[in-house]
Amino acid sequence: MKITLTVNGDDYPLDVEPRRILADVLREDCRLTGTHLGCEHGVCGACTVLVDGKAVRSCLMLAVQCDGRSVRTVEGLAGPDGEPHPLQRAFSAEHALQCGFCTPGFLMVAAGALEADPTIGDDPERVHGLVESNICRCTGYEPIRRAIMRAAAESAFADPSGGGEEPAAGGRPEF
Amino acid sequence: MEQWARREDRRLLSGRGRFVADVAVPGCLDAVFVRSRIAHGVVRDVDCAAAREVPGVVGVWSAADLSGLPACAHAAARLQDLPPVPHTLLAKLSTAEAVAGREWPALAKDRVRYAGEAVAVVVGEDRYRAEDGAAEVAVRIDPLPAVVTPSAAADDSVLLFDGRSNTAFRGEAGTPIDETVWQEAAAVVEARYRQQLLMPTPMECRTILAVPEQDGRLTVWSGHQMPHRLRSELAALLGMPVDRIRVVVPDTGGAFGSKSAAFPEFVTVVYLAVMLGRPVRWIEDRLESMTAATRGRGQDQRVRLAADADGHLLAYELQIDADVGAYPHLGVGLPMQTAWMATGPYATPRVHASVRSVLTNTMVTYPYRGAGRPEATIALERSMDLLARRLGLDPAELRRRNFIPADDVPYQTPTGRCYDSGNYAAALDLALETIGYDTWRAEQTRRRHDPYALPLGIGLSCYVERSGGEPGGLHDFAGIEAHEDGTIIARCGAASSGQSHETTFPALVAATLGVDESRVRLIEGDTDAQPEGLGSFASRSAQVDGAALHHVSALLIDLARERAADLWGMPVEEVEWSDGSVHHIRDGSAAMDVAELVKATGPLSVDDRFESGMGFPFGAHAAVAEVDPELGTVRVLRLVVVDDCGVVLNPAIVRGQAFGSAVQGIGQALYEGIPYGDDGVPLLAGGLLDYLLPTATEVPPIEVKETRTPSPITPLGAKGAGESGCIGTPAAIVNAVADALQIADPGLLQMPLTPDVVWRAARATKYEGAR
Ligand code: FES
Ligand code: FES
Repeated sequence: MKITLTVNGDDYPLDVEPRRILADVLREDCRLTGTHLGCEHGVCGACTVLVDGKAVRSCLMLAVQCDGRSVRTVEGLAGPDGEPHPLQRAFSAEHALQCGFCTPGFLMVAAGALEADPTIGDDPERVHGLVESNICRCTGYEPIRRAIMRAAAESAFADPSGGGEEPAAGGRPEF
Repeated sequence: MEQWARREDRRLLSGRGRFVADVAVPGCLDAVFVRSRIAHGVVRDVDCAAAREVPGVVGVWSAADLSGLPACAHAAARLQDLPPVPHTLLAKLSTAEAVAGREWPALAKDRVRYAGEAVAVVVGEDRYRAEDGAAEVAVRIDPLPAVVTPSAAADDSVLLFDGRSNTAFRGEAGTPIDETVWQEAAAVVEARYRQQLLMPTPMECRTILAVPEQDGRLTVWSGHQMPHRLRSELAALLGMPVDRIRVVVPDTGGAFGSKSAAFPEFVTVVYLAVMLGRPVRWIEDRLESMTAATRGRGQDQRVRLAADADGHLLAYELQIDADVGAYPHLGVGLPMQTAWMATGPYATPRVHASVRSVLTNTMVTYPYRGAGRPEATIALERSMDLLARRLGLDPAELRRRNFIPADDVPYQTPTGRCYDSGNYAAALDLALETIGYDTWRAEQTRRRHDPYALPLGIGLSCYVERSGGEPGGLHDFAGIEAHEDGTIIARCGAASSGQSHETTFPALVAATLGVDESRVRLIEGDTDAQPEGLGSFASRSAQVDGAALHHVSALLIDLARERAADLWGMPVEEVEWSDGSVHHIRDGSAAMDVAELVKATGPLSVDDRFESGMGFPFGAHAAVAEVDPELGTVRVLRLVVVDDCGVVLNPAIVRGQAFGSAVQGIGQALYEGIPYGDDGVPLLAGGLLDYLLPTATEVPPIEVKETRTPSPITPLGAKGAGESGCIGTPAAIVNAVADALQIADPGLLQMPLTPDVVWRAARATKYEGAR
């Protein structure tokens, strides 16, 4: 089946079998291997990407469902000039990664939420909720929570208006 | 580099890490295994005919297809039959005697001994094609009765290997204790504990990619802790010289001990790559890992602990029935780690531990973070709480009365260990002070008088562990090279799976040489670049490889001074090294940076083997937990972990390891376990929804503290870090729950403390004097 995925702003015209999951198509067909597979059954969240701005488990979504939609992966997190995203800097500063295998998923969950509502840092419970949605076997989560709070504080500072009008959108992953 | 706390971070945070599954090799085939759904049975038929017709399937083989091969003029004629799985001699994890007559076939031939054992392999153009093929393989297995606990297997009523007992190994540490000691003691407590089987569960499952090269060599990529061991095991299996194989470990998504062997799937994949002359990879998926990856722990224990009326320990006895899984190849001797560490931090005059390793119809047991020491600590520390209660002593006070005094270290234990360093009382004092022990005891008393308050308990756990490895495996290899452009390359035999070697080791080398960190780069995890090595296991990387790098750095300094002395025609004693330069002690004009020295005198490099002693890190963990007797839930209100790993190379990284490790320890105490049906099949159909890893929801407030008692075993003074939480934390939590419930029979609280277990325990008889 012929589809076009827009990934991180680039168009990828692809011919894919309908049964192929989004994660495999991103990794194998688009050669964007930053999206990882930790369970392939929707539990761990390592495969999380943003589809039209919302966090999804790319192991539970077929690539053909994303035809014509815009996908954002960890490779698309940095700014156009390569300037790291506040989350990337914060994850490093807080030691929110050890092996780094789960990291792209946590980054994308947090990026989706933060971009939908830069004020999430005002409500630690919401940040906690984001961290609860994925699995990390190395860090014990606390550094990840701190990193998201740190990036949120920075984003809120950069955008004093408060940003998004729909605070609920894009927060939790879609199952 | 300043904007990244670790050198690894930039690539791992931008999706540019390279894990084995990310390595693109043109024409690479994917292997998928067809696995037994039956735990124990006789293989009647494995029919691959239909699978071979599936489009995109390149080949399908059962064990029968790969054994009894005729020697022919085929390109792969030098190939023998599919070799069996090798056994682990390192650290006496297995023995020739235990494996004799008990072959572990890479693909099961006529008998399956655990659910998930591979009976056929399918190779396809991609994973989807290979799985299509696997779905068409018809397998017929006649079930036999299965045994999934050591107690059930030990009576040999069901034999895993015909004509041989299921008991595959026996061992002991210490001297048997005379019955009179127990009879005459003022207080004796006895208990049985189950150390449940656990799944290490690194977020990246196992991986291997084997690429036959043009020149006849073989490159093997694998997320692995011991690349050199993998290389030599594969070379032996394939009958290839070691230097014809290159093993590369790229980024690895966690390991926790579980990625250090040559597994059946590895044997098969590498063999097929050579046979086909094509790249083949196997990227394990999670459900597969949950049936066929190695397990940790798995012991049924019986203990006796005796003290005099003043609470001085007299004797401790630990009997272990260990569940080592279906084959003795990887961990039949692993329970000896528990036996050797049975003494713990106490000056108990008599300690005896005995081990019986029993084969069961479960996947094989192998080291998982802690590897034998959690089992030792949990048994002893739970028993210490029982004894304290029996004697009417505060659990902290009982421990204090029995610690090996700091002045008595080095200390030879009755179970054969020599502790290098230790100040156990200091660690406990810091833990008690940090958690606010007296305040919590007061709160506990208050709640015991308030009929509406939830019961609260305080649990302590003091541990000693062992790091570095066992005799014969306490060394590693390292090298260092200074280059003309000013860079310094450090090499060692370790392999990181998330422990930040790329950051920590260059910083250590730079500090030793007095040069800027940015000049130093680390190479590890490539057997071509670093020809010899042991790897990363037993918490050894900082202790052994760190010390090895420290050592070769010092040798490089000596060599540079000699070179400069020759160049300048001066005695070497008059040449000094500082800040990356050589200079004459008085003559200021004779000075040059090491890069200049290389330009003037040629390449400067040193390689050496470095041998460490065994390290004995220690610590004290304390937990406060609240139990809801109606719901059976446990809420950990506070956890304090105090660890002592000697000299710390990078405090932020060690703290991160301690924290993550503690969360894994919470997992063992409260959530993780593998339920088995009567037929021996794990009941895990829901994958990670059935095997509960701690998520952020389950993480209580944890405070990580340290004491620092440098180790005399290496000049660097570092001991192992990273396993502490798995070792110390579970007993602290279980003791807190037992303290809250005040139950008389400790056997009712077996891990994991699920709501069901706790709810039942909350209804059981309380001990005398409980209120
Ligand atoms: S890979 Fe685990 S949720 Fe998708
Ligand atoms: S950093 Fe290793 S799984 Fe999260």
